[in-house]
Amino acid sequence: MIGILSYLVFFATLASILAIAVLGLNLQWGNTGLFNGGVAAFFGAGAYVTLILGGQPQDEHLGGFALPYLVALAGGIAAAALLAWIVGRLTLKLRHDYLAIATFGVAVAFENVMRNALWLTGGAQGLRGFERPMRDLLGDGLNYNSVFLAFVLVLLLLVYGVLQRLAGSPFGRLLRAIREDEDAARSLGKMPARIRLTAFVTGSAIMGLAGGLYGTFYAFVSPQDVLPTLTFQIWAMLIVGGAGNNRGAIAGAFLIWGAWTASGWALSRFAPVEAQLYTGSIQFILIGLVIVGMLLWRPQGLFPERLVVSQSGKPGH
Amino acid sequence: MTMKRSVHTAGLGLVLGLGLVPVAGEAMAQSCTQKIGAVLPISVDWGRPIAETAKFVVEQVNSVGGVAGCNIELVLRDDQTDPKVGVDAAKALVDIDQVPVLLGSVSSGVSMPILTSVTVPGKVMQMSCCSSSTAFTKLAEQGKTDGLWFRTFATSRVQAAVGAMVARDKGYKSVAILYKNDDWGQDIGKIVAANLEKLGIKVTAQVALNDAQPSYRAEVAEALAGQPEAVYLALYPTEGTAAVREWLSLGGTQNMIMANSLKSDDFRKNVGIEYLGNAVGTDTSSPRTPSAEAFVKRYVEKFGGQPNGPGLANSYDATMIALLAMQAAGKDAKGPQIAAMVAKVTDPKGTPVTADAAGFAEATKILAGGGTVLYQGATGNVKFDANGDVSAPAVVWSFTNEGTKEDTYIPLEEVDAFVASMK
Repeated sequence: MIGILSYLVFFATLASILAIAVLGLNLQWGNTGLFNGGVAAFFGAGAYVTLILGGQPQDEHLGGFALPYLVALAGGIAAAALLAWIVGRLTLKLRHDYLAIATFGVAVAFENVMRNALWLTGGAQGLRGFERPMRDLLGDGLNYNSVFLAFVLVLLLLVYGVLQRLAGSPFGRLLRAIREDEDAARSLGKMPARIRLTAFVTGSAIMGLAGGLYGTFYAFVSPQDVLPTLTFQIWAMLIVGGAGNNRGAIAGAFLIWGAWTASGWALSRFAPVEAQLYTGSIQFILIGLVIVGMLLWRPQGLFPERLVVSQSGKPGH
Repeated sequence: MTMKRSVHTAGLGLVLGLGLVPVAGEAMAQSCTQKIGAVLPISVDWGRPIAETAKFVVEQVNSVGGVAGCNIELVLRDDQTDPKVGVDAAKALVDIDQVPVLLGSVSSGVSMPILTSVTVPGKVMQMSCCSSSTAFTKLAEQGKTDGLWFRTFATSRVQAAVGAMVARDKGYKSVAILYKNDDWGQDIGKIVAANLEKLGIKVTAQVALNDAQPSYRAEVAEALAGQPEAVYLALYPTEGTAAVREWLSLGGTQNMIMANSLKSDDFRKNVGIEYLGNAVGTDTSSPRTPSAEAFVKRYVEKFGGQPNGPGLANSYDATMIALLAMQAAGKDAKGPQIAAMVAKVTDPKGTPVTADAAGFAEATKILAGGGTVLYQGATGNVKFDANGDVSAPAVVWSFTNEGTKEDTYIPLEEVDAFVASMK
């Protein structure tokens, strides 16, 4: 029993971390219509910089500044935001698929830099030497993981709350206006370029937060953690959950990650022995089917976007 | 059978002083099951045979009564080479299936987060067949693995040392290095370069090759620029074939030194044996001992082909040693207890046993009598150091029209001495 609980805590922690990243993407795509194909880069920037700032000194690579954990995490978020600002300045004039290709390229470049810049990131071996915060106090087991889950959940709710308020505010309406018709927004005296950049940087900073938590959770990050698969997974979560709906984004993260892990578990447990060796391939097919089915029969996602009235339209207000 | 087993159960109980009531064999043996976990990249083409080999070992051990009277059930999980998926699978195995031993993974980028976030905190022994990164050694040196980490894949140091030895023995004065741009390739490329320079051989270039490029012309040209006498290849067959073809077509030397990853029929056929006359490879495995030959023979019987893929012999040994250690630790032992027994089943002073069902049964008897065992594995006599690393004897091989042949055998002592002299 305690084993199942321990596993569920572990699962919920990772799902919550991914949900934070999906919320960031929802701000960019769901609300503002920015197709970010480089989620992995911003997630990775958060993870790498958090571990570099917060880790113990190592001979082989930079880092080991052993800063207090929250400072390191803030550094990770700032790094993701900075990367997004640079990328945004260069690419946000691009629209739709062009932006997607450009940001995808950024993610591939990011992974390659992480893989090759041995002095900075430890190269393909990854970045070690991070001590999980408060480990002395809480030990290693379920206690630690429970406290960490609580910490992640608080952050998830915080991000959710802020984004909910944002979506309901005039700023949220402005984001949707830009998404729907940029020219119309401009004709009303708004500055779409700046607003798009703001949304892009904010969303990426949220992904950076998720990345920082991810690195903390594993106490390790390597280029294998920031492959394009991650971008695909985050997107699948948003599409299934429902773009434009923050609750959908969270539900999508839990559902897709749950399906990803549960299918592996179920196949290893219930598939006949001869089929065991093929469970990996079967799992890929199952996950693909879920996503394709979703796109065919419920393209708006499980929780479709709801129109929000951000200010009362009554006269006299 | 019944009698034999009850004897060994009794012996085990006595040896371990656990006060286990020796239960008379057969019925009990069938009724209990001990799970062990494996997280391997089963969905990758070269990953599946590694898993099949592990399953094969479990079958053999079960055929002689399993471990501590229990049938072993190997719960296999796929990691898709995605660290998230692998770590989650490992956590599920440790928490839900309560496995005391975890085999895996292949990729160091998956094995490492499993080690830091699942097996060490969960006090589970982790034994990898194939993770080669030197990062594990450093982690162990810092005391972060709690003695729970082992791998049967000799670190890149052995392979790189033998590569440098070959260059010295062939009398090459200058060598260019082409390496695969992943943790394994970066490690081995760096160590080979250091070793060569220590031997006074000039390293003209160290060039990284990324996976899945349509052409490696730019990289190959860069390596050619220094006009090396020979080239060292730490590559996998796919990019190795592409790069070597371009290397030869641009006039590069046929003096090649290859890592074991190129010991592949595809590579030989696709490059062409006529160009590989001066190519020699290195490998860590030593099919010398009877047990290693037994492995090859049994593998061929079981799968109808030679164990030529990467990591098969290592996977075999990883699984067998893990099960032997479990046998030595007795029923219901936890990870740290099992990890502590690894030295007892790989003891150079112990009684040699072969790597098959008969060897396992023999080891069972010896362990029950309080003795220690020297496991003679598919990769030779496996011996772990304090960091869970293995050294290994090495062979130098070359291609023939049909496959490969061994040219020289370098015993463990010689390899170790050479590695030590390179420090």
